[in-house]
Amino acid sequence: MMDLFFKPKSVAIVGASGSPGKLGYVIVNNIAGSDFAGDVYPVNPKADEILGYKVYKSVTDIPGEVDLVITALPTPKMTVATLEECAKKGVKAIIIESAGFAEMGGDGKVYQQQIVDIAKKNNIRVMGPNCSGIVSRGIVTSIYPMTKKVPQGNVVLIGQSGLLAAGMASDIVENESLNISKVCSIGNKCDVNENDLLEYFGNEEDVDVISMYLETITDGRNLTRIAKKVAAKKPVIFLSGGRTEAGAKAAMSHTGSIASNAKIVEAAVKQTGMIMADDFTELKDFAKVFSTQPLPKGNRVAVITLAGSVGVNVSDLCASHGLELPKLTPETTEKLKDMFDTPVSNPIDLYFSVTKIGFTKTLETTFPEAFRDANIDAAVLILAGFEYTQEAVQKKIIQKIVKEVGKPLVVCMIVGYNKYKHVIMDEMGKELPVFPSLISGVKALSKLCEYGIRRQKLSA
Amino acid sequence: MITAEILSRARQEKRKVLTEIEAKQILGEAGITCTSTVLATSKEKAVSVSEEFGYPVVLKVSSVDITHKSDSGGVKVNLKSRVEVEEAYEAIMTSCRAYAPSADIEGVSVQPMARPGTEIIMGMIHDKSFGPVVMFGLGGVFVEVLKDVAFRIVPIEKADAVDMMEEIKGKKLLAGYRGKEPADIERLQKMLVQLSDFVNATPGIEEIDMNPVFAYSDGAMVVDARIILSEE
Repeated sequence: MMDLFFKPKSVAIVGASGSPGKLGYVIVNNIAGSDFAGDVYPVNPKADEILGYKVYKSVTDIPGEVDLVITALPTPKMTVATLEECAKKGVKAIIIESAGFAEMGGDGKVYQQQIVDIAKKNNIRVMGPNCSGIVSRGIVTSIYPMTKKVPQGNVVLIGQSGLLAAGMASDIVENESLNISKVCSIGNKCDVNENDLLEYFGNEEDVDVISMYLETITDGRNLTRIAKKVAAKKPVIFLSGGRTEAGAKAAMSHTGSIASNAKIVEAAVKQTGMIMADDFTELKDFAKVFSTQPLPKGNRVAVITLAGSVGVNVSDLCASHGLELPKLTPETTEKLKDMFDTPVSNPIDLYFSVTKIGFTKTLETTFPEAFRDANIDAAVLILAGFEYTQEAVQKKIIQKIVKEVGKPLVVCMIVGYNKYKHVIMDEMGKELPVFPSLISGVKALSKLCEYGIRRQKLSA
Repeated sequence: MITAEILSRARQEKRKVLTEIEAKQILGEAGITCTSTVLATSKEKAVSVSEEFGYPVVLKVSSVDITHKSDSGGVKVNLKSRVEVEEAYEAIMTSCRAYAPSADIEGVSVQPMARPGTEIIMGMIHDKSFGPVVMFGLGGVFVEVLKDVAFRIVPIEKADAVDMMEEIKGKKLLAGYRGKEPADIERLQKMLVQLSDFVNATPGIEEIDMNPVFAYSDGAMVVDARIILSEE
């Protein structure tokens, strides 16, 4: 059933428009710009042709079968009427992008209930209302114009807010900052909710990471059940808004007075093995780390730096995020003895090696030797955006080493000239997780380690 | 069987609050050890039950209308003789009638004074979205001031119970702090799973408090319990 939303063979856009700038135009244009190869049926009683597609007066006028209907209509009343038509036509999947429903209260609530009733009676699945639907290579139903092709990646982003999900999607696609497969926004969740999507993407083989933002949790009991199953197979990054610390006011028990919504959500996250994000950036950052880096076997980290003071700060951050900085094995220490003025310790200060053999060569030889050490599960590499780092960046040395060593790495940027810094952040950031601060990199790596350890335990 | 009877009787009487005795009977049937607690509807009965248990004993007012038993002067502990039990009975009745003149008081519950152990709180609440949720924490100041507790969504497995105990900040106290008797962790974990299994199989329960539970090196015992039913 969910395949009708993500892999439809034919799609109708009710409220399609020929005027650039109108939402009904952007949607048709986005579909035209995607890889969608099926039939496209714009529906508008007052137009004949939009972007080269023949326009139909109503859904029931469309000659062939319609897998998916997208509505962008000015009034809830028109949306309800369209649903009736879709039922007649035998449509089974509808995305309602228009707002003005339950989120407005009053009549909006009544209209939304009418939609739910029609959908139930006719076995139709509805996404929305008040959402922006789907952004993917196969189909784009979002109301933001897409500037580039959506990647065919391995990350799915599920959001509740239409604007935010659509905005994040546009940002990610334009900047190529995350290898996404799909972004979906589920809006008011009158029917299709986070549980449907989590279960669906949990079973999709080409999805490796799921990142999810919710303002409300529709059915927490079911979410717990499904998330536990999915998170045992692939990482589920979770951000929940509107968490409150207040316990149940009317509670007559001690337990009830302490059991706040925030505590219960937090418990569900721990219990299921999901990864808690604290803001939207983390939702994306964690997904970047999980989708590009292998899972570590433990929490033993090598910190690679050129400046002692930075190393000290990272060590402290690692400690407060549950990461350990072990000593390297005697074998590695012996092998590297010429590259350090004192025996190598952790943080691993490459300064001496750089003065001796240069930065590029140090990254090519000294760094991987330490990274490969048997005591090390993962690494934090601190880079600066100066002229001397450029050769290594251009030659993609770090990417090659990460691949060859097979352990996860995060890069943190703290200083540098903009022209060099941007190359590292933006260009290297397409392939590796690059962070603009130490704490963001360390936190993301700690989540990866936490999840890696959990998966080890599960498979033991 | 006892559970079903108690629940249907409470529903018939249109009350949501179960008495301590009812709560302990239900938990007992779920496999959770509680202090033996017997209802005494008269002073004489209170004495005879006390003699059977052996002193010291605890007397608590038994009334579905009085939820704050201590505040109403309805709890007397460490009663060591027949005379003390008789005096306590009178004192409880006088004080509770003054505290809640319209309350329906069926008598007192009598239970042996439990040997002090590590004070634990366990409980359950029915969340609108997540359904039944169970809680574990250390009792007294740890729960009241620090709210040092862990929650999990029902149903839980043994591994979840283990995690809950690992999660609380005061976990070291369970191992026996400064020569104190360590708590029977295995038994506490089992109790949490039993509590989860019970609420998972029994709809209609809104809240449960097992507070305190005394944990010993070889077992644990629910000393006071409260069960609140949900609106029908």
